[in-house]
Amino acid sequence: MTVTESPGRLTFEAFRRNPLGPISVAVLLLMGVVAVAAPLIADYPRGYGEDVLAPPSGTHWFGTDDLGRDVFAQVVWGTRVSIVVGLAASLLAIVVGVLVGVAAAYFKHADAALGVVVDLSLSLPVLPLMILVAALAGPSVPTLVVVIAVFSWPEVARVVRAQGLAVVPLPYVSASHALGGSHLWIIRKHVLPGVAPVVAVSVVLTTSRAVLAEAGLSFLGLGDPDSWSWGAILHNAQRSGSLATAWWTTLFPSLAILLLVVSATLVAVVYNDARDPRTR
Amino acid sequence: MRRILVGIASIALVAAGCSPSNPDGESSGGGASRLTIGTTADVVNYNPLLGNSRTDTWVTNLMYPRLMSMDMEGKRTPYLATKWEYADGGKTAKVTLRDDFTWSDGTKVTADDVIYTIDAVAKEKIGIVAGLIPSYTNATAVSPTEIDFHLSQPDGTFLDNVGFWMPVVPKHVFEKAPSVQKFANDSNWVSAGPYKLETVERGQRYVLKRVDNYPLVDGGKPAAQEVVFRVFPDVNTEALALRNGEIDLIANAVPPALAKTLDGNDKIKTVKVPSLGWAHMQYNVQRKPLDRLEVRQALAAAVDYEAIRRVALQGSAVSSNSSVLTPTLKQWQDTSAKEYTYDTTKAKQLLTGAGYKDGNGDGLLDGLSFRMIYDQADPNIAKWAQLVRDSAKEAGIDIKLEGLERNTYVAKYQERDYDIYAGSWAIMDNPPANLALAFKCKGFINYANACDPALDKLIDEARGKLEQADQKPIIQQAAKMITDQVYDNVLYVEEFTIAHSAQWSGFLTQPSELLSIVNPQSIAQAKKG
Amino acid sequence: MGGSARFMVRRLLRGLLTLWFAATVTFFLLRLLPGDPALAVADPTMTEELYADLLRDYGLDKSLPVQYWHFLAQLAQGNLGVSFRQNQPVLDILLERLPWTLLLAGSSLLVTMVVGIPLGVLAATRAKGLLDRLIQVGGITGQSLFVPSVGVLLLYLFGVRLGWLPIGGAMDDDVTGLAAYASIAKHLILPCLSLVLVQLGSYVLTLRSTLIEALGEDYCRLARAKGLPNRRVVWRHALRNALLPTTTLVGLQLGFLVGGAVLTESIYAYPGVGRAIYDAVAQLDFPVLQGAFIMLAFTVIVANLVTDLAYGVLDPRVRAS
Repeated sequence: MTVTESPGRLTFEAFRRNPLGPISVAVLLLMGVVAVAAPLIADYPRGYGEDVLAPPSGTHWFGTDDLGRDVFAQVVWGTRVSIVVGLAASLLAIVVGVLVGVAAAYFKHADAALGVVVDLSLSLPVLPLMILVAALAGPSVPTLVVVIAVFSWPEVARVVRAQGLAVVPLPYVSASHALGGSHLWIIRKHVLPGVAPVVAVSVVLTTSRAVLAEAGLSFLGLGDPDSWSWGAILHNAQRSGSLATAWWTTLFPSLAILLLVVSATLVAVVYNDARDPRTR
Repeated sequence: MRRILVGIASIALVAAGCSPSNPDGESSGGGASRLTIGTTADVVNYNPLLGNSRTDTWVTNLMYPRLMSMDMEGKRTPYLATKWEYADGGKTAKVTLRDDFTWSDGTKVTADDVIYTIDAVAKEKIGIVAGLIPSYTNATAVSPTEIDFHLSQPDGTFLDNVGFWMPVVPKHVFEKAPSVQKFANDSNWVSAGPYKLETVERGQRYVLKRVDNYPLVDGGKPAAQEVVFRVFPDVNTEALALRNGEIDLIANAVPPALAKTLDGNDKIKTVKVPSLGWAHMQYNVQRKPLDRLEVRQALAAAVDYEAIRRVALQGSAVSSNSSVLTPTLKQWQDTSAKEYTYDTTKAKQLLTGAGYKDGNGDGLLDGLSFRMIYDQADPNIAKWAQLVRDSAKEAGIDIKLEGLERNTYVAKYQERDYDIYAGSWAIMDNPPANLALAFKCKGFINYANACDPALDKLIDEARGKLEQADQKPIIQQAAKMITDQVYDNVLYVEEFTIAHSAQWSGFLTQPSELLSIVNPQSIAQAKKG
Repeated sequence: MGGSARFMVRRLLRGLLTLWFAATVTFFLLRLLPGDPALAVADPTMTEELYADLLRDYGLDKSLPVQYWHFLAQLAQGNLGVSFRQNQPVLDILLERLPWTLLLAGSSLLVTMVVGIPLGVLAATRAKGLLDRLIQVGGITGQSLFVPSVGVLLLYLFGVRLGWLPIGGAMDDDVTGLAAYASIAKHLILPCLSLVLVQLGSYVLTLRSTLIEALGEDYCRLARAKGLPNRRVVWRHALRNALLPTTTLVGLQLGFLVGGAVLTESIYAYPGVGRAIYDAVAQLDFPVLQGAFIMLAFTVIVANLVTDLAYGVLDPRVRAS
């Protein structure tokens, strides 16, 4: 009789085999390092420089902006803010989404009401609402985090609920119930681990969407004026009229956004494929 | 497959059913010349007496005449009025009008229209104009082209104010509305400018067609048959449209960085237009320790004026030598004025001399922490505010920046809730009138909260004089006092860059972004080729 | 009541419920947030009397339930308030803009589906192959693009460098008849393309995964076992079933599209509702922001309803579910 490998091991192997998986993880880790080590890589962009709107060169790898500040430093420090906002918003969304999703999957009565709420939230155009709220609450990092989180949790809840609905009817769950386990215990011991893979994927996907949302809101001027984020760099370029002329002020922050979001999504997709025995 | 198609079809039907209707097209005919002007905001309000956005002013200026215009030095020049003077020791102002202006419905523009307008403004207290004519009581039409304005006291600012700031509206149209202030005037326009407004497609364009009898252009007929204002919310797209030839002129001042790239393009010409106002910081003297002169002087010495003009404004600004009489107003300027010197060591000396110390060794003098408010939507100020904060730090002064969104900003400065106010004036063209509002005790725009009896006396004296030559020395004295007492730290006078296609010429440049090359006379005489 | 009538009524009620939900969310958001809820109706820079009058009109001096009732009543009459900056009813302002946004969103959706369905099918049927990988990466890249950057790039490339397409605006003036439609189409290309580039990615990916799942289902295996050619299995059976969740997908896409329209319309100076939102943000014109959201929600709901009803009428299984 052959010894079958554990599902975890199989997933890991499948993940590794697809070249896109490890590469994306590497890119994400690199960006994480850049975010954490920002002070070591570049000076905080402040004040002004003499070389205004200079194209990329040896001294300024990404060129300078309309106040002569180094764009490379802006992108590096922007990594911090964009990732932090994205991650914080997504974690908040995850917490709420998991709560709602698990509750809907586990408690049949709650499902009807919660399901409706989730569905309704999903069918609304979210960006205009985010804009309304951000404009009202005033621009700051905490506001952005909360606003993005509030409009991202329904997607998480939908996915968690779907997975939860697959887990809850499983025999070991009803067995635990018969053995006298409390709801909370069952949820913690069986349901949560069951939805964990989906949640993991959700964290990554929601973060990438949150980064895009933050960029959008900052671009519109609803971001925090005191902090550098990729969206703020673009907002600055738009306001000073350099968006279409000084291509480096537009290209590099856009590439940074693209890189982060693509890597995060690839990790999620490859992981999903690796996890599913049919697509391994 | 069918089902997919039905699904798609239903969506398409919805979209098509609601598709926008055709415009009424009247082709302008072959050889038509059209001047397309780009702007970043829609017209919000068609009533010229209610001040609003720049686009409002550009469009309504092309429709409603004013008594006077302005030359490049800020001096009033004839427009609807041909001559004006004071009489009765200054208690009467006499104005003579041209007789060849006609409203677009055929009625002549007469003294009745002017008197109707000023009476409405005074009675309903409309806008800034009402604030500029406090001494007005009533007026009589001596003839269809002569008016006597009666004033409650000699006021040497009255004529310049009412002449330039008050557009004249048609009495027979506006009097039909219950209140001039509430009259929207958003259709069936009756105007007396070089062009009349024909079509409005909100969010897209405003089409004006020329009239045949505009007195202020040779031959009575403006060169361009049509003027179209096209709305671009994004200045980057607007610039691309200019480069592509889709628009011929950008009415809003081009940001300095963008201006530099357009300079090198030989299909585009740029015109430098000086501002009639200035950008400044004012220190709230009613708050300690800003009531102490040494503190204000130290703050003034801690600003790198050259760097602000060179970097934040990209050289599109000139120094006013720290005087409220700017170089744009040549007839008022005091050439002996000198700018505050940027010297952080001197600043520190002034402060330590006044008794301030750095107790905790953090590089900042204790008790010197100031809140500075500014409109964060203003890109220029947002930039130099940071420079100001950084250089103040070197002098041991802590400035906390508060970039506010517009409503909060307005609310705070109206309540004088700040230590330092950073902002800019668009037009301060008449010092005797402006200084009164800006520096007299409890003046409406007195953001320094200055209350200096000696200063008030000088300003009142100047206002009582009827000739500019008599007002000038007194005003210069007042301006010097303002500089010495640091009631206003004038940082720079902006130089706007207005860009237009090289194919068009003949523009007449006037100061300020509100006039620049889009003033009515300029547009009337502009031609292609 | 017949099965299909019952189905339609249910969908209609659901649509109304969603609209009510959108309105309620807006109402409570404005009142629960830090910041003055009066900002939603009255501009603080207006005169005191006008301000007090407006507050009274909107019942902001009354209790919350009364305000809520008043709000819903006003909404039912189509009163979305008056814009602060434009002295005009919000409804009028938005109705002027709505056709353009519908045109933009509708055409983007159309192109996305026309291009996306074949791509999705291609990817799913050749799963794990090189083509599939390429499509996957392409799709992921597409949905990670930042809309304004794409917009500016396309404008510069096609408008300035190549000079093929106009820069900004929805149409030229002085054109009638066929020329007018041509002008509208020319001005529509770039904004539509920007939206499609971003939209296509997520559409293809979702279609691909639902198709892969469907192809693994029993009925497909059964069809294949019956000897039906693979192509038929894919197009007739799997795709049809994979497209049913597309109705929810269309709703999501449309929701995203109208949101993405805000950024696109501002870059392209396209006079739609998204532009109105962009202008209103800069001026903090809250009635317009609030009204725009409700109107967009309404549009999405109606579009969803129409597609649902269309599918429901044709596919009996949907009705029965």
